[in-house]
Amino acid sequence: MEREQRQQNVHGNRISVGDIAEIGVMSALIEVSKLFMQGIPNVELTSFWLIMFTLYFGKKVFYVIPVFILLEGLIYGFGLWWIMYLYVWPLLVCIIYLLRKKADIWCCSLVSAIFGFGFGLLCSVPYFFMGLPDGGIAGGLRSAFVWFIAGSRWDIVHGISNFVIMLILYTPIQKVMKKIKGIESIK
Amino acid sequence: MKTNNNRRRGILTVVLVFAIVGLMTLVHGTFSEKAVKGGKNISVEVIGNEKEAVRYELSTNQEYLLGALQEIEELEMESEDGPYGPMLLSINGEFAEFNTNGAYWAFYVNDGYCNYGVAEQPVEDGDAFQIVYTPAE
Repeated sequence: MEREQRQQNVHGNRISVGDIAEIGVMSALIEVSKLFMQGIPNVELTSFWLIMFTLYFGKKVFYVIPVFILLEGLIYGFGLWWIMYLYVWPLLVCIIYLLRKKADIWCCSLVSAIFGFGFGLLCSVPYFFMGLPDGGIAGGLRSAFVWFIAGSRWDIVHGISNFVIMLILYTPIQKVMKKIKGIESIK
Repeated sequence: MKTNNNRRRGILTVVLVFAIVGLMTLVHGTFSEKAVKGGKNISVEVIGNEKEAVRYELSTNQEYLLGALQEIEELEMESEDGPYGPMLLSINGEFAEFNTNGAYWAFYVNDGYCNYGVAEQPVEDGDAFQIVYTPAE
């Protein structure tokens, strides 16, 4: 009965107290992991957790994203990078959500790697608009490209580290996730 | 059969990742801003929070901004090694560090934001740099 109620809540876009707790734990885990890894440039666990949460918690992750982005803004300030976060992380979650039925370790590793490699390119979008007033579309493209190239070395690190992290952690965390989901279904 | 298929997918994924790394390395090597050797005349303006703006003009053989800044005798700097390279914390006695006072030193070259860190920002003849005390938003 309770399980049916829980499913109805998620599918009916209504969230229960249990869902709120889960969203809180997921957001906290992402934030703590981010703080823990911040000393290593462009190596992060945020992509990994968002992919795993999307696979095992489905639509609930769409509540985690705004909580995480808002927390980031409150901790580090609402700069231009924060605007980038507004579309970059939701994009990753949407891609994995669409692929969730076919997603295995290789699919997740590849998506995570491509996301890391393309992170700078995605984040260069605001620079396109910033370059528009000075040089039109060509100026915008130039502005975004120069910014992307300047950081592309770090995007390579980001992509490789995302790939390796997913390959290492996918199987053990998958086991834990399955266990959690198993416990959930018994309730 | 399933194991073979899985192995094939694994190999294909690894090859694809290596191919992207190769392509990105090539793009970065081709298009990234290169350091220029030889003498250059540049200017550096420091715009602090409370103190008046100070402008320095110098001739340098340095290829990167940090080296050029270190050649300015009147300029007092304190830096700290961060994960992305050296971070300037204090300039002419004024301190800006996000975790301490919610501010940072922003670097501009020829009115545009510097795309590289202070130790990797190439210096070209005629460049006009600005270092601006910037409170975080």
